[in-house]
Amino acid sequence: MSAKPGPHLASPSAPPDTAGGARSTRGADPRFDQILASANDAIISIDESQRITLFNRGAERIFGYAAGDIIGRPLDLLIPERFVARHGTQVRDFSTASEASRMMAQRGEIYGRRQDGSEFPAEASISKFRGPEGLVFTVILRDITERRAAERILRDTHDELERRVRERTAELEERNAQLQQEIQERRRAEKLLAEQARELARSNADLEQFASVASHDLQEPLRMVASYTQLLGRRYRSRLDGDADEFMGFIVDGALRMQRLINDLLAFSRVGSRGKGFQPVDLAACVAQVRVNLRSAIEESGAQIEAAALPVVCADATQMEQLLQNLIGNAIKFRQGPAPRVHIDARREDAAWRIGVQDDGIGIDPRYAERIFVIFQRLHTAAEYPGTGIGLAICKKIVERHGGHIEVHSTPGEGARFSFTLPDREEPPHA
Amino acid sequence: MPDRQRPIRILLVEDNPGDVRLTIEAFKDNRVDTPLDVARDGVEALAYLRQEGIHAGEPLPGLILLDLNLPRMDGGEVLAAIKADPALQHIPVVVLTTSRAEQDVQRAYLLQAACFITKPVDFECFIQAVKLIDAFWLSVVTLPCGARG
Repeated sequence: MSAKPGPHLASPSAPPDTAGGARSTRGADPRFDQILASANDAIISIDESQRITLFNRGAERIFGYAAGDIIGRPLDLLIPERFVARHGTQVRDFSTASEASRMMAQRGEIYGRRQDGSEFPAEASISKFRGPEGLVFTVILRDITERRAAERILRDTHDELERRVRERTAELEERNAQLQQEIQERRRAEKLLAEQARELARSNADLEQFASVASHDLQEPLRMVASYTQLLGRRYRSRLDGDADEFMGFIVDGALRMQRLINDLLAFSRVGSRGKGFQPVDLAACVAQVRVNLRSAIEESGAQIEAAALPVVCADATQMEQLLQNLIGNAIKFRQGPAPRVHIDARREDAAWRIGVQDDGIGIDPRYAERIFVIFQRLHTAAEYPGTGIGLAICKKIVERHGGHIEVHSTPGEGARFSFTLPDREEPPHA
Repeated sequence: MPDRQRPIRILLVEDNPGDVRLTIEAFKDNRVDTPLDVARDGVEALAYLRQEGIHAGEPLPGLILLDLNLPRMDGGEVLAAIKADPALQHIPVVVLTTSRAEQDVQRAYLLQAACFITKPVDFECFIQAVKLIDAFWLSVVTLPCGARG
């Protein structure tokens, strides 16, 4: 590059403040100088040897040079050293190109170098025209440090946002996979449940079948045994001896007991298979009905049946009555002396009612507190207290069918307190 | 037993010979001398009631004691056939069975059984039941004319 400052373009001696740092020989139109001086961008002209011939106030502000100090010096001063060579090539290339102007930075970003050596990103266009002294290049340049910073923030924010979206998407995908798995597990469980329900229905049907068989076919031969033994006894009483009468007594007694067991077993099996739907049941009304049902036992024993306020629960009405009747009946049956007292109460217990039946009877040894709920388990001989041992087993089955639990607390000789829970439930969806 | 002017017959429909005999013995023990005819199953019972074949000329019974567990045609079917037959539907049918199953009871009454009696296992009770059947249906109750033999 040849250093050949155009004397008509710049005059270092001109006062820098009069034309806003621009140096121009074209004083003809004052607006020209004002445009140069007021422009926010740097406007810099160079000659063919790339020496600066014009440096406006914007250029002074951006590069930190005073126009007076830079006019006539090489443009390379304003370019970071690593770009100098490239820049020179580009300018020469442009000088022979057909177009009159082009954007700089077509092959990457461009940077400016301030007087203090610091660099800044820039955006610039370059234009050329042929003047009397040869080609004049004019660069209009803008410091885009802030824009770059804003762009970076934008980019960073965008990246951050994308990262978060990716993270969230990954989370969602994971959650979705979990859900899918849960759904599959639930489906498997539902299928299993449906199978179990079918199995249960089958088993209930079998039980019904058994019930029917027990009701007809098992009783028929029993009746024959018992009835004909009794007929024998009636007809031949005088012709048989005392032993024969006793033996016949055992036969009949055995057959009758067997029949009671069959009937009790039937009743037990029907708690599940013949249970009715759950609906609101007033337990106070149940107790009132039980009083009627047990009237003879109550009158015979002089029992006092007292009930505290009892709730309305959602349950099988028939079974609630049976449950209370069995418990109250037992309380009377296992009395210690005349005029037994039976007290029924109810209290709330997390999401359930607990109903208690307290008596002042003979009580139960705590050792047997579990055993008494097992079917046909008895603690007394038939001579002491008649019965097959079905009552409490039925109670347990009824309570469990209602999702509750039954238990007994007792000190022998001081009475017993049976209590059962009835968990709260919504009213049934009627089929 | 109170005096009886009307010669009322009873048809016992029962397949078990033990039960047939027991019923006869129970009547005997009660000193009831009501004529008792026996049909061993449902088909025979209907043939008897419709006076078919060997039963031609037999008088209609005033009361039918019907077991439910019968071969060939069960008690329910016999009951339905009797109640669907204009010539027989007026005859009271007492269901006398071992069953105490609720569905049997329901069905019997739906089919217009006069009453449902579960045979007591205890013979003393059975005798008592027969006595009551006799006392109620053959003495207290006024049966329709067609039911007289």
